[in-house]
Amino acid sequence: MESSYVTLLSLIVFLPAAGALVLAFFPRDKGDAMKTFSLVVTAAVFVLTLIMLLPGKGDWQFQVGVSDMQKTFSLPWIESFNIYYFMGTDGISFPLIVLTAFVSMLSMAASWPITKYVRAYCILFLLLETGMLGVFLALDFFLFYVFWEVMLLPMYFLIGVWGGPRREYAAIKFFLYTLLGSVFMLIAILMLYFASDVKLLSDEQLAAAHVIDASLPLEEQTARIGELRAHAGPIHTFNILALQQIGQHTEAFDVKILWGKSLQWWAFLLLLVGFVIKVPSVPVHTWLPDAHVEAPTPISMILAGVLLKMGGYGIIRICYPICPDAGYDLAYFVCALGVVSMVYGAFAALAQKDFKRLVAYSSVSHMGYVVLGIGVWSAVAGNEFNADAWKLGMNGAMFQMIAHGISSPGMFFLVGVIYDRVHHRDLDKFGGLFAKMPLYAGLSIGIFFAGLGLPGLCGFIGEVFVTLSVWNFSHALAVVSASVVIITAAYILWTLQRVYLGPEYKGPHPEALTPMTSREVLIAAPLLALAIVFGVYPQAIFNYMTPSVDQTVNELATWTKDVKAPRIHDEATAAMPAPAAIVAQQ
Amino acid sequence: MDPITALPKLLGAAWLIPLASFALIVFFGPRMGKAGAKAGWVATGAILTSCLLSLFALFFVWLPNYKLPGPVEPHITAESRTGDAHAAGEHADDNHRAKDGHAGSKEHPAAHGGASHAESAVRPITGDWYTLGKFGELKITIGYYIDSLTVLMFAMVTFIATSIHFYAIGYMHDELHDVEDHEVRLADGHHLHRKGRFHRFFQYLSLFCFSMLGIVIAGNMAMVFVFWELVGICSYFLIGFYIERKSASNAANKAFIVNRVGDFGMIIGMMVLFGTLGTFSFGDVDGQPGIFSLVRPGADHQLIVPDGMIKAAAFEQIAAGVEPTAEQIAAWRADTAPGTPGHWAYWLMIIAGLGIFCGCVGKSAQFPLHVWLPDAMEGPTPVSALVHSATMVAAGVYLVGRFFPVFVPEVLLTIAIIGAITLFIAATIAITATDIKRVLAYSTVSQLGYMMLALGVGGWSAGMFHLITHAFFKSLLFMCSGSVIHACHTNEMTEMGGLRKKMPWTAYTMLVGCLAIMGAGVPFSLGLSGHYSKDSILAQALSFRAVNPMYGWVFFVAAGGAAITAFYMFRLWFMTFAGAPRNKHVYDHAHESPRIMYVPLVVLAVFAVAAGWSTNTFNIDGLVGNFGVEPLLEQARPLGTSGEVHGVLMNVVHPDEHDSHLDQFHSRAELVALLTGLTGLGLAIVFYGLRILNPEEVRAQFRPIYDFLIHKWYFDELYNAIIVTPVMFVARRVAEFDQVVIDGLIHGVALWTRGVSVLDDRFDRYFVDGLVNGASRWIFRTAVWLRGAETGQIRQYVMFIVIGTVALFLLISLYTSTLAG
Amino acid sequence: MNPFVEPIGISHYLVVGAIMFVAGAVCMATKRNALGVLMGIELVLNGANVNFVAFGSEYLRPGVMGVGLDGQLVALFVIVLAAAEAAVALAITLNFYNNHSTVDVDQADELSG
Repeated sequence: MESSYVTLLSLIVFLPAAGALVLAFFPRDKGDAMKTFSLVVTAAVFVLTLIMLLPGKGDWQFQVGVSDMQKTFSLPWIESFNIYYFMGTDGISFPLIVLTAFVSMLSMAASWPITKYVRAYCILFLLLETGMLGVFLALDFFLFYVFWEVMLLPMYFLIGVWGGPRREYAAIKFFLYTLLGSVFMLIAILMLYFASDVKLLSDEQLAAAHVIDASLPLEEQTARIGELRAHAGPIHTFNILALQQIGQHTEAFDVKILWGKSLQWWAFLLLLVGFVIKVPSVPVHTWLPDAHVEAPTPISMILAGVLLKMGGYGIIRICYPICPDAGYDLAYFVCALGVVSMVYGAFAALAQKDFKRLVAYSSVSHMGYVVLGIGVWSAVAGNEFNADAWKLGMNGAMFQMIAHGISSPGMFFLVGVIYDRVHHRDLDKFGGLFAKMPLYAGLSIGIFFAGLGLPGLCGFIGEVFVTLSVWNFSHALAVVSASVVIITAAYILWTLQRVYLGPEYKGPHPEALTPMTSREVLIAAPLLALAIVFGVYPQAIFNYMTPSVDQTVNELATWTKDVKAPRIHDEATAAMPAPAAIVAQQ
Repeated sequence: MDPITALPKLLGAAWLIPLASFALIVFFGPRMGKAGAKAGWVATGAILTSCLLSLFALFFVWLPNYKLPGPVEPHITAESRTGDAHAAGEHADDNHRAKDGHAGSKEHPAAHGGASHAESAVRPITGDWYTLGKFGELKITIGYYIDSLTVLMFAMVTFIATSIHFYAIGYMHDELHDVEDHEVRLADGHHLHRKGRFHRFFQYLSLFCFSMLGIVIAGNMAMVFVFWELVGICSYFLIGFYIERKSASNAANKAFIVNRVGDFGMIIGMMVLFGTLGTFSFGDVDGQPGIFSLVRPGADHQLIVPDGMIKAAAFEQIAAGVEPTAEQIAAWRADTAPGTPGHWAYWLMIIAGLGIFCGCVGKSAQFPLHVWLPDAMEGPTPVSALVHSATMVAAGVYLVGRFFPVFVPEVLLTIAIIGAITLFIAATIAITATDIKRVLAYSTVSQLGYMMLALGVGGWSAGMFHLITHAFFKSLLFMCSGSVIHACHTNEMTEMGGLRKKMPWTAYTMLVGCLAIMGAGVPFSLGLSGHYSKDSILAQALSFRAVNPMYGWVFFVAAGGAAITAFYMFRLWFMTFAGAPRNKHVYDHAHESPRIMYVPLVVLAVFAVAAGWSTNTFNIDGLVGNFGVEPLLEQARPLGTSGEVHGVLMNVVHPDEHDSHLDQFHSRAELVALLTGLTGLGLAIVFYGLRILNPEEVRAQFRPIYDFLIHKWYFDELYNAIIVTPVMFVARRVAEFDQVVIDGLIHGVALWTRGVSVLDDRFDRYFVDGLVNGASRWIFRTAVWLRGAETGQIRQYVMFIVIGTVALFLLISLYTSTLAG
Repeated sequence: MNPFVEPIGISHYLVVGAIMFVAGAVCMATKRNALGVLMGIELVLNGANVNFVAFGSEYLRPGVMGVGLDGQLVALFVIVLAAAEAAVALAITLNFYNNHSTVDVDQADELSG
């Protein structure tokens, strides 16, 4: 059973890497063959995820409605540091995995215009895919970190070698920003590792965290647990699930280490910085416009479609469950980050003259919803514990990640289509494309409206769910986040007007404005189709996602009720004798 | 047929058929006949089917099952106004709360039909079709809420839409072949030539019909919002139909963005409702109470602040340990002194109401968001007739009507004031406008203001009644103007004149429309549709004035507005159809429109005349009881809204609407309406009909006022200055902030790092490397010096070997001897 | 003690070996002819051989047990080595002669540093 999961998940993660190895043996001048081969590899990965996705009773199928981790396996890797080759998936990561495989495939198909160093390009691209998939599947923190770094380097080269005129600047900026985040993350990982001790967990929690393999016979499990308990000294762990259990059920991370703040407060902050750089949130977002503008089209698609999601994934999988106490204290800060990004990104987009830069800033704005939705910690209403609004927000945020992963690669691809033809991106020098390229204009308007959050398209669901969830957390943030719809409409409509409407094209190379090729249509049309499908039938995603997201929220809400509320109460009564309010509505 | 199962299916089908037509035309439009000509028939066929389904639902499902209430009589005495209206309805209420959440009409078909002021005994049919998302107890769904208002709106919308579809097939025939757009000049000086877009027009129309019907049938606020946005986007596409014209795309953007400003408020209102009540549903669905039952939970359906809001407002107290029992909540609710939970909870009600109303302000083009509607006239005229007069802009009024049970008196007062301001501003601007469609656009804004005013002073059925009648005569007026434009190829009334001889059908149907909007009729006997609805509004305003003297001015605004309405409408008619032609060229080329265009005019003209009538008007009792728009509306009146309501935070009283039928109000209102209408008509005849006075002279005399009006009260300029410019300024500053401050910071750090690394490099180069290089240089020199010994002479080597061996031998022996010694 | 009156013992052999060694070494150092140098080498090697044989002889070193045939074997090994060395050296010399038309070792200074 487990070995079959090892095969499945390892195949998904390492098939691209194996493909990269094979590419090394292709003859030098067979550029198209290499691209075709890479496309086949990415398609094969996508097919594997599809096998998991499609309903059925098979061993490899993703079990819909199960909230726990599934398809897990854990093999020793570096035993002296308790590092395992530990993977698995649940409703939070699975949609992102399918999205990654899908966007990678489309991006590879969009890579045909690349003619420089094709072999190197394809190899780096495939390595990048391995890194991305690994990040989403890894359940061992160390493994997670390794994949996180694996993904970084190919990206650096893909921007720096195949990018636009300022590619080196953009690549270095991207690299340094992300590296800064990874360093913070590494510190936090080590802090948590050395503070952790699996012996603090109960037997059930050990099984839930897959420290003990629950599929083993009961006697053997007991024996293993006995071994653990008999071990002298603490047993540190990198197991993310175990760290979650320790964070929520023990006080191991509550040690005060610096300026009166606990270890988990600092760890949360460091991890958060690492993740919001990736998201990216204001004010650590400026790598994004540059990287997007300089990166070649397919790499922009990957960047917007997948890389940004890792930040959100990290926050939802790691920050909050492992450091709930810090998460509770910093919830307002996180939400404010989200709201500021939404407003700031929208305003900045309004002022852009470069088409791609505008789309990049729209990403900043849209990803703000993700951070906001994850952060709305409204588990408490009076003394009634009701986390429904938070569930709404977190599900909305997860949905927004998928929706943005569909609409924004589409937008970048469509910008790339026009850039390939006329070689400029100046918004003031377009116009009249509706007449010249009707199909292109139609697809573009569809995709851009998905970004605008039009009902019936995927952007709407995420944005509205997140916005609605905010009221119970903070009225002020709710009002500000609602106001973003106006600016979003303004910059998207203004862009459409300048590019697609109007009597005639105003820029250089009007003769190059040929209709879309069938390859281009085959890339853009599925994105628009999915945008419509998810907009009309969001349950297609929620079915997979909601059980796991709800469980995460439920666990945190229970923690709030059982641990945090009494703690706040005690602190308040210690501070002043008067009856104190639980601060959830700041 | 059982209405509970049949109506959702019938209306659902009527709702979805246009969507199917839209999908068909999107994919196959260009291939439908020559230049997509058949697309028009596909769309028309679809909406015609919807119309037939809706009419079937109205006449063969609704009316046979739910007997309409009898003629509405006012209370006899003033005392009975104080609230016993509910007593009469009370025994019906037990049935209202039937468990299954459906209308239990069959059990009590006519029990209350005869009761003069009984509230409608018909419970709305509610349910959910489809769930978008469900998280814990929170659910966001697509559902339906069907009462007689829904059915009536379906019939009205689909009927007008069908007429306009037919009309549009004629109007848009230019788009069947290549078009030369005279309003667009290319860079090379030529006019734009482009392909026709006939099918695309009908594609958008179909999508619009689907979206509009979605709003009407919507069973919850989320669904309203979904279709609210969709009609917005359809409106965007249709206004910007001539995408090559900059003015059109600007107007489209303006329409959508201004609407989004309204939506911003709407989202806040929705957040308050959802956050405190946990549901979006209007009615009770599957036993779960909807918003209406939550805000009016009692047997008498009196509006109270719902428990959810009290709890949300009493957050601190609850957190401090106070148990939110029913008594405690009631106590909180009763205490509305500033600073108490009850006070804040009441404010939550106000915020929710104002938020929802904010969306309606945007959609219905009310002050201060009215600026988009006149610009929206850039779209083709059928669009103006359908979207921007009869249906979409009325959706705002419709939603206020739907949400009426949730509005507290303070919110209603705001609605009334906004309505009054709007109707006055728009009417004054319409006086000076010369573009025929813009006059009608301002007239629409003004009439929408009337409806809002009516709702705001508590006249629920008056407002909704005017919504229906206005839809008929305003779409008629727009279609007539379209016919004129079609004939003259210009919108400017200053180019027209005397056209009634050339196009009699258009001229006389338009005259009917003008009379209807003016509210013409014989007092106390018979009138055109506008006569009835406008009278009800004025009567209610008068009745409102009687109890709220300080807000009595809204009545005078409404009455004055009626005079202005009559004036500008007849000014329009006289300038267009009467007198001598102003432009010979235009006049000579003008011609009557084809039959497919004027037949719908005639049909709508009939309705413009008769929509206000009911069987009661002629004292005949039909097979279906008292049939007519007004009784149908009375049947849909929200529970508990027919009593006197007092404001809590402000001193405002909303009188029972039935009291407006008292003679002291209704007869006086009818007289006032007639007199003001006649005044306006008289002025128009004096200025434009008989030309006794020259409007030019008046204009010269009141130059400042004229300038003010012709610039539309400078709203565009004002908004440009206080909103658009600052927003763009902020946007640019934000972008600069990114590039200058954040990137500057990062570049600074990078520069600093590079500086440090240069120093580091120097240290390496001159100190660390200096040491290493020095050592190696020394070794090298030594080695070079030693190289001198290496001569290559074999004999010398042998000598070295020998000497070395001997030396070694000596050393060893010396060493061993010392050891030994 | 006078070596000339002593019975022949190991010391005598060692003296002979030392003389041969010194003669060989002097020959190597002084001869300019490469063949002369080779002869010096032979002398040195054989001087060493005499020593080996002497030390390895049970007869000459009574009372020392367990030496066995080591000395003789090493001597034989040196002889073989000398033969091989001579062959290689003669080949080098011949080659040198072919290139420089002389066997004067002073002319061969190409290895100078």
